[in-house]
Amino acid sequence: MGVKGALSRLDAKWLVILGSVGVLVIFVVVPMVYLVINSFIVDGVVDFDNYKTVYSKIVNWEALMNTFKLSLLVMILSLIISFPLAWLVGRTNMPGKGFFRTTFVATYMIPPYVGAIAWTQLLNPSVGFVNTMLVHMFNLSSSPFNIYSMGGLVWVLTLFYSPFAFITISRALEKMDPTLEEAARISGASPLRALCDVTLPLMFPSILAGGLLVFIAAGSCFGIPSIVGMPAQIEVLTTRIVTYVYMGDSKGIRDATALAVSLMLVANSILFFMTMMLGKKDYVTIGGKSTRPNIVDLGVWKWAAVAVAVTYGLVTVFLPIASIFVSSLIKTYSQPINLSNLTFENWLPVIQSSQFIVPIKNSFITATAAATISTVIAVFVSYLAIKTRAKGRFIPDVLSTLGGATPSVVIALALIITFSGNLGLNLYSTLAILVVGYMVKYLTMSVRTISASLSQVHASLEEAALNSGASWLRTCKDIMLPLIAPSIVAGWFLVFMPSFYELTMSIILYGAKTKTIGVLLYELQTYADPQSASVLSVLVLIIVLAGNLIIRKLTKGSVGI
Amino acid sequence: MAEVIIQSVTKKFGEVKAVNDFSATIADGEFVSILGPSGCGKTTMLRMVAGFERPTEGDIYIGDKLISSGQNGTFLPPEKRNIGMVFQSYAVWPHMTVFQNIAYPLKIQKVSKAEMTDRTNKALELVHLEGYGERFPHQLSGGQQQRVALARALVGEPRLLLLDEPLSNLDAKLRESMRFEIKDLQKKLKITVIYVTHDQAEAMAMSDRIIVMNQGIIQQNDKPQNIYENPTNKIVADFIGLVNFLPAEITAGSIEMPTIGFTLRQANSTTGKGLVAVRPEHITISKTGSGLSGTLLHKFYLGDSIDYRVKVKDEMIRVIDKSGSFEEYPDGETVYLEFNKLMAFPQSGK
Repeated sequence: MGVKGALSRLDAKWLVILGSVGVLVIFVVVPMVYLVINSFIVDGVVDFDNYKTVYSKIVNWEALMNTFKLSLLVMILSLIISFPLAWLVGRTNMPGKGFFRTTFVATYMIPPYVGAIAWTQLLNPSVGFVNTMLVHMFNLSSSPFNIYSMGGLVWVLTLFYSPFAFITISRALEKMDPTLEEAARISGASPLRALCDVTLPLMFPSILAGGLLVFIAAGSCFGIPSIVGMPAQIEVLTTRIVTYVYMGDSKGIRDATALAVSLMLVANSILFFMTMMLGKKDYVTIGGKSTRPNIVDLGVWKWAAVAVAVTYGLVTVFLPIASIFVSSLIKTYSQPINLSNLTFENWLPVIQSSQFIVPIKNSFITATAAATISTVIAVFVSYLAIKTRAKGRFIPDVLSTLGGATPSVVIALALIITFSGNLGLNLYSTLAILVVGYMVKYLTMSVRTISASLSQVHASLEEAALNSGASWLRTCKDIMLPLIAPSIVAGWFLVFMPSFYELTMSIILYGAKTKTIGVLLYELQTYADPQSASVLSVLVLIIVLAGNLIIRKLTKGSVGI
Repeated sequence: MAEVIIQSVTKKFGEVKAVNDFSATIADGEFVSILGPSGCGKTTMLRMVAGFERPTEGDIYIGDKLISSGQNGTFLPPEKRNIGMVFQSYAVWPHMTVFQNIAYPLKIQKVSKAEMTDRTNKALELVHLEGYGERFPHQLSGGQQQRVALARALVGEPRLLLLDEPLSNLDAKLRESMRFEIKDLQKKLKITVIYVTHDQAEAMAMSDRIIVMNQGIIQQNDKPQNIYENPTNKIVADFIGLVNFLPAEITAGSIEMPTIGFTLRQANSTTGKGLVAVRPEHITISKTGSGLSGTLLHKFYLGDSIDYRVKVKDEMIRVIDKSGSFEEYPDGETVYLEFNKLMAFPQSGK
């Protein structure tokens, strides 16, 4: 081998660095910087006018306030719901804990707008399933619930984003050294006192982190506010941005840009603050011998706990999914549900009409492309960050995280203004711009998965292969790839699934010939064709479920959407 | 101050008996170690005394009060037992200062502010951490965190102190000095201590009495010197110190060791097939002599002693000599061994 071999390996490494940094710079950094710069420029002059104009309109100001109000309410509600649930699952002898753990995060894998559609079916003031049932049961004069309201919006957002808080809190509960609580008990503290004095303060950073994740997710969401909020004239930043983009003229784009930069600033600075806070080492607890966590004996109360968990699971997971399935089979919506009102006819257009087939095909193509390109880049980015000592090896990793942390509307808008020819590359209304959008947003999913598994592969395994006489490439093929193969496939699906049903970016980036499933579903819902919308939703749910089962099998349950 | 009485305690996890019919009395002011390999049930036993586990069967008394019973379900929660405990992981709360950590049991007891400050400072003094009160645990070394844990366990003046492998995360030098500090404290405070460890040297150095456990069962409960010199069975002999085991035929008047071709005249109460255990340091090696001869195969210089391997007929016997010089016996030479003390166990014994 000698010097020449060593040199060429170094070169390969640098090529990989430059290549992946290059792709990420072009598609992540340039669009965002360009977006921010654009928001401060009016007719070629640096100016704050865009912001002044936008926020002088009461509707935008209200949208900003609504976004804050909603995100805050959803965050608080999510924490109030998630902590007791995480505690029940992690620290008590409630029966069926494994099953409930899966149930409590199940809404995480349902596309949010599908959930929103389901809840409009359930709580629609005139024909909602739950409303009509309650009116019948209790002989009410009018429907008790109206989904098209601030309350309805908070409800649906909480159901779909509380899993962020649940997962973060569960992990913190599992990671905490149980002897810290035992030390409080033996010092004389009752279980409740130990919870307040030790458990809660120690978990505070994780609880806050989980809450802020919910805050950002709720604030960045477009699907739920547009389906549930818009009919009630409740606007948020994301819906305003999309409305402005849809105006189509340069003024609309300018206003959208100013709003998008505001949203990006809030979301990314919260995430930055969170990373700083969690990165501080002061709160790291010394792990000793791993004793089993204190399992609190609930006694007879465990059946009450099961009842609560079952009810929560039924309402949050079973009810919406059942509603979607039933709606996909209903003939006439305003009629009661019985056998004569059920049919498979709604399903026929999906396999016959090009109105359905083209978007389904588009979604498959773009999601497959985004997943494949992302996986290849993710392998390089992870290898760089984990296995090399190169300077700047973390830069691509950080860039991919930045992309994932940026609200989808912002990415989409940035891509539109950057790649509509102004800077020499015109991807407007192509499938390619959708692929780029999905990649920027979801690359971080596959990087996380592959990095985690790569860091489990000890350097000595690689060195042993080199020592046995294998070349670097041969080592990659014979040792590295087989060891991380499951995570590569899992990472692929983690990009494919959200790309497949993506709505927020697609609705901004799609063109006449590049409609996707998400966009079609949104249109069907808005144009009041709930049966067809349900059929498509069922299709999406089946694909997401299948993808999740594959991921779970591959990663033995450690990763999932 | 308190006496601890453990009566026929059994703890099952599913079908596994982690602790099996454990009975012992720990006298007021006594320092007792529970010693055994990992997984022998010693920590489970301690956690039952603390109140973090409930016995499946049997009773535990502190003083004359029944605190835990597998029979009638009596159970006093840990916070009501007035026990101090030091955990292997120290369990020092990272979000509280050293002072707050140590004062916590007093805060729970609603002791007046002045008294709390006074007693906490005394506890800090006791563990030589004067002036460290305002620091946070992450600013302390492992040894200092250990002292914080100790001070917190003692500040409430408990009747009983439980220590769960408190020194196993410290480095060797610190571990040795902490042994004496803990022992000193115990003497000064005249407190009852139950100390769980897998380190025999630790148990030997500190304890008034050692309870050796294996697979949930008490093997021996005795003074340290008796555990070492008169182990009741092969397991204890093997676990404490070094030992050569030789198959033996035991009769009323002799012990025959066929694998080394040697018979010892000695009166025995139990007879039959069995094992002889000889500690390497209980064998004298010499150039001339009568009786047992063998060939010196290897020797290792250990600084304070020399470790010999001598081939005697079918056996390899280990001898540790603390007085000779390394050059005295060349490899391959014929040497003579004399057993100064041996222990005989009938095969049927546990």
